[in-house]
Amino acid sequence: MKFLVYLMLVLLLVPLQTTLLPHLSVWNIKPDLGLVAAAFVGIFAGELEGLLVGLAIGWVLNMFSAGELWISLLTNGGVGVLAGFLGRQVSQMTPITVGVGLLLVSLVSGIFAAMNFPHLDTSQMWWMIESIVFPQACFDGVVTAGLYWLVSQRFDVARLRTE
Amino acid sequence: MAHSRTPYGARRLALACFALLVVALFLLPNQIQGLLQYLDGPVGHVVRVPLEAIASIDAGVADRWAQYVALQGVREENQQLRKEIEWLRGQHNQLREAAAATERLTGLLSFKEQALPAMVAAQVIGRDATNRYRAIILNKGESDGIKPDMGVVTPAGVVGRVVKTTGASSVVLLVTDPNNAIAGLIQRTRDEGVVEGTQQGLARLKYIPLLSTLRDGDRVVTSGLVGGFPRGLVIGTITRIDKEEGALFQSAELNPEVDVSRVEEVLVIQTSYGQSTKAGAGADLLGKSAP
Repeated sequence: MKFLVYLMLVLLLVPLQTTLLPHLSVWNIKPDLGLVAAAFVGIFAGELEGLLVGLAIGWVLNMFSAGELWISLLTNGGVGVLAGFLGRQVSQMTPITVGVGLLLVSLVSGIFAAMNFPHLDTSQMWWMIESIVFPQACFDGVVTAGLYWLVSQRFDVARLRTE
Repeated sequence: MAHSRTPYGARRLALACFALLVVALFLLPNQIQGLLQYLDGPVGHVVRVPLEAIASIDAGVADRWAQYVALQGVREENQQLRKEIEWLRGQHNQLREAAAATERLTGLLSFKEQALPAMVAAQVIGRDATNRYRAIILNKGESDGIKPDMGVVTPAGVVGRVVKTTGASSVVLLVTDPNNAIAGLIQRTRDEGVVEGTQQGLARLKYIPLLSTLRDGDRVVTSGLVGGFPRGLVIGTITRIDKEEGALFQSAELNPEVDVSRVEEVLVIQTSYGQSTKAGAGADLLGKSAP
């Protein structure tokens, strides 16, 4: 059952990220729903599932991107593991802590990706961080906080995490 | 501290798997990439189903919006377009005359006839999954004969180049992406250069000889020397020239001919000029029907 849910999640993320989100982008920046999904799976299902689902999301989304596969795998898989670890260590998880956490992770992974971007000099790399990486990290943080708030309104998140 | 139901062994396994993945990606990057690309084909076919379903709903909604809701200013636009058609008819007649003259002269000079390239029509079903690249996703892939490095165009001009394919889809890096490089030449002066995208979403012709007499408004076309494009496809129009003191070359900013943010259907060039054996096997750029 869980496998089917994860399969549906991965399959639906592709059209959502590539077809629908471009319509909702702000200044041509859209949130990375793959990162958000991997973080949620990590928080609620633990490191191992966060890692596996994050890797699957990274791989499948990379098939529809011009980007490097290894960055996508490391980023999404890493977020799944990290979210699982933090979900276990942090006792009071609020929408703000989750949002800020993902903002920071998205920022770090975006800077890492920008540093590995081919043919970029320092000024171009800074331009990319200012214009793409930072706004996207903010967007990711806001979307994650909003989704976590929605989930916490509907379910008992503390119970979901400890069950 | 929250107590997750994840057993301690599973946590250790997750961390071990992640560490192993990091090591494997650094030590055997090509092998890992090759293995996953081998699986891309069947997975791509599965992912294509929801992707195409949502893309067709999206296109349907956009069509309805364009046909019934966003009709403001259509009358004025229609009048403007009628005037443009009249002007283009005149241009068309002149060009037909010029084409006939060129054909006669070509025959006289015994030039080898250039075959039309073979093309595949494809629909745009999405945009790059990340924000870092300017790329579009097409609904045709390896099973339709599309391979990396093939050129992608519309009747208006160059769109980009295929960089990645799965069984049923392909990713096209747009001409406006800084990672793209296409061999181009200035139509009027015949000076060659390399067209690259800019971070602002435009394009730039680089490595133009210092003695070139280029000017604003000059058109830049593909040179056909390298890559998947035949000669003479329009890339863009020069809008600004940059000539720095002491530099070995000059460069020019281009306004791309195709509005890549709105492109919906494209043609993928499977063979360039000279590789195609029969003109009839290729599709006419202007006459090709929608996919």
